[in-house]
Amino acid sequence: MRNVLATLLVLLGFSALAQTQVRISGWGGTDIAIVTGLLREVVQPRLDKEGIRVIYEPIEGDYTQWLFNALSAGTAPDLFYVDIFWSESLFATGRVEPLDRYFTRQEVAEFLPNLVQAFTFGGKLYGIPKDFNTLALQFNKDLFDEAGVRYPNQQDTWETFEAKLRQVQSKLKDVAGLCVVADFARFGAFAFATGWKPFDERGHTVLDANFRRAFEWYTGLGKRGAARFAQDLGEGWTGGCFGGEKAATAIEGAWIGGFLRDKAPNLRYGTTFLPLDPVTKRRGNFVFTVSWSMNAQSKNKEAAAKVLKALTSPEAQQWVLERGLAIPSRRALANNPYFQRPGKEPELNRIVFQGSTPQGGAVYPFKFRGFGGDWMRPINEALQAVITGQKTVDQALKDAQEALDRLTGRK
Amino acid sequence: MRLKARTLEGLYALFLLFPLLFTLGVFFLYAFVRAVYFSFTDYDLFSPPRFVGLANYLRLFQDPLFLKALWHTLTYSLVVTSLQTFFALLLALALNQPLRGITAFRTAYYLPSVISTAAASLLLLWLFQRTGLVNQTLSLLLAYLPHLLVLALLFAILQGAQVLWERRRGIPTSFLDPALALLSLPLALLGTYALGALGLVQAREVRVEIPWLPTTATFLGIPYPLWAIILMNTYTTIPTFMVLFLAGLKGIPKTLYEAAALDGASSWVMFSRITVPLLRPVLFLVITLGLIGTLQLFDQVLFVGGSGGAPLEATVTLAYYVYGNVFPSGATPRVGLASAAALFLAGLTLLVVLLQRRFGVGERGWT
Repeated sequence: MRNVLATLLVLLGFSALAQTQVRISGWGGTDIAIVTGLLREVVQPRLDKEGIRVIYEPIEGDYTQWLFNALSAGTAPDLFYVDIFWSESLFATGRVEPLDRYFTRQEVAEFLPNLVQAFTFGGKLYGIPKDFNTLALQFNKDLFDEAGVRYPNQQDTWETFEAKLRQVQSKLKDVAGLCVVADFARFGAFAFATGWKPFDERGHTVLDANFRRAFEWYTGLGKRGAARFAQDLGEGWTGGCFGGEKAATAIEGAWIGGFLRDKAPNLRYGTTFLPLDPVTKRRGNFVFTVSWSMNAQSKNKEAAAKVLKALTSPEAQQWVLERGLAIPSRRALANNPYFQRPGKEPELNRIVFQGSTPQGGAVYPFKFRGFGGDWMRPINEALQAVITGQKTVDQALKDAQEALDRLTGRK
Repeated sequence: MRLKARTLEGLYALFLLFPLLFTLGVFFLYAFVRAVYFSFTDYDLFSPPRFVGLANYLRLFQDPLFLKALWHTLTYSLVVTSLQTFFALLLALALNQPLRGITAFRTAYYLPSVISTAAASLLLLWLFQRTGLVNQTLSLLLAYLPHLLVLALLFAILQGAQVLWERRRGIPTSFLDPALALLSLPLALLGTYALGALGLVQAREVRVEIPWLPTTATFLGIPYPLWAIILMNTYTTIPTFMVLFLAGLKGIPKTLYEAAALDGASSWVMFSRITVPLLRPVLFLVITLGLIGTLQLFDQVLFVGGSGGAPLEATVTLAYYVYGNVFPSGATPRVGLASAAALFLAGLTLLVVLLQRRFGVGERGWT
């Protein structure tokens, strides 16, 4: 009966009335072209049969502020992006719908377990990862050739990697081996390699001997002639130094691919895994990931769930992957022929994809309970103070530990 | 029934005022009342606000970051207001001279005010980089310090000799006589160049690498990055206030100066007894606007902290503290605390302006 009515309405030209509308939002920038294309070519054709119309409202400006406001005011869309970084503080508000009801265990198991775990909060799944990123090591082949130094590879430990950087820097003078940033979002990968954990069982952060070992190695790179501080080269991130050929290597995710395509299209670069901790013989990494999550106050939850499934379907992810736009979150796509294509970008994407697998070592999602940036700040300031020579390692770590204790309530 | 003309006029006035009153009511009055209410509650935008009394205000004063922000805001405001008022007055006096082509100078000096704060902040980032212009200039100055010293010495000797010679001929000459300097300076330059070419004076190897922005080091209790912002903001706001002072100067009757000159008043006396007292209303306006503007410092903190890599502890101000607590990155909004801080800032602004008016420069003319 309902179908007949719907058909009638469509025939009468009231197509909009017959359809269920589902509003979705994410941040703007380059994502707009990707999502628009995905909706037009993959998602909407599939949903037309079900009488669902997706309305895409990308948000320019500060997305997090907009989303928190919209959820608080009750004007938020049915589906929206959630970045792992602030996911816990958002899930804790109860304004995000748990998805366990809409997805079977099997359906969930098709996504990378790391990512599913990252969006699980209090035992419930609050988001389906749409894509992700990890850190990898990019190196400029021309600069390494010019210096006559062997390329970094996946057997490198911190020590052998550093030796290569030192050689490059001393041979090429005006090129840094690496430009280091005072940012836990990069340094953290090395700290994780030592076996250090950001939080202990009681939720406290302890900057122990392992952390210190990574900290000393990372902050000392500059002094030992293997790296320079990014700010001193007029850059804010390692990719900026790399693209401007101010540094021979970079530690970034797949996002550097698009940047280099524009900034330095002819740069010959290769990608490999981050170096291993010489003591534990392991590496560490972050997963940076974004999910599609559902508004708990949505009026069309069933329809929204269908849209969510279409947006994260194997076809949708295949479409995105083949255009080299993002790394898919589905396990089955690990063996996609795209990754085996020759060329620097497929290689970059392959290494970044594998960064989340056991090959990546100790991998943690880029989130710090509900503390967010407040948790990273003391560590970033310690990194900066030591790299620029304003504090000794002892002093910097002591100050950072005090600030973290205040934050996490340890004492 | 016909309305009385006065009533009708009043209704028209209200009608025309309505758009303004409406926006004021919604975006100022309503928002203000809400902020007052939130400041006494624990509120995260999601769960209903929970009344906590004065707890937020007490928590503010236990937060080391807030105390830092308070200190930065007060010192920043004091330093920038005094610097910009002083230099704006100085510039206005200079540009008030009846010289040919003075309008061109007025325009040129006004230009910094036209720059948007975002652009100015970017410039600031580049200037104060470790390899930036500021450090390079300092390096150059220090490297050629021997040359500069030799130059100063030669100049002093040459000038001194000429002045002595003139005085011996019975002509009263001041040491800095420009006509004589016109001869001494090129000679001194030539001499320095010759000494440099002969290798008697050598440049030193100096590389100044002060990290201006990514640091928490302080000078006179104010962190370096904040000093950088102080310099930048003083530079960009001086011209605006200079225009106000110029307008004020134009309003002072020439006759007063003429009378004073007839009585034999020196230019300093004329400045301190005529110009400054008659400029009091403008001075009050400039200081008040300066204080209010500087107490709200926000965007430069965002830029210098964001792309400049300056640590938050070295740049945080009260306005930024409020913002940072409403939308902490990756954490739950702390609206109650932020509202309390915002109200504290509003109260502080009011207090500072009132104190200034009571004990500093009042708006009335001379007494």
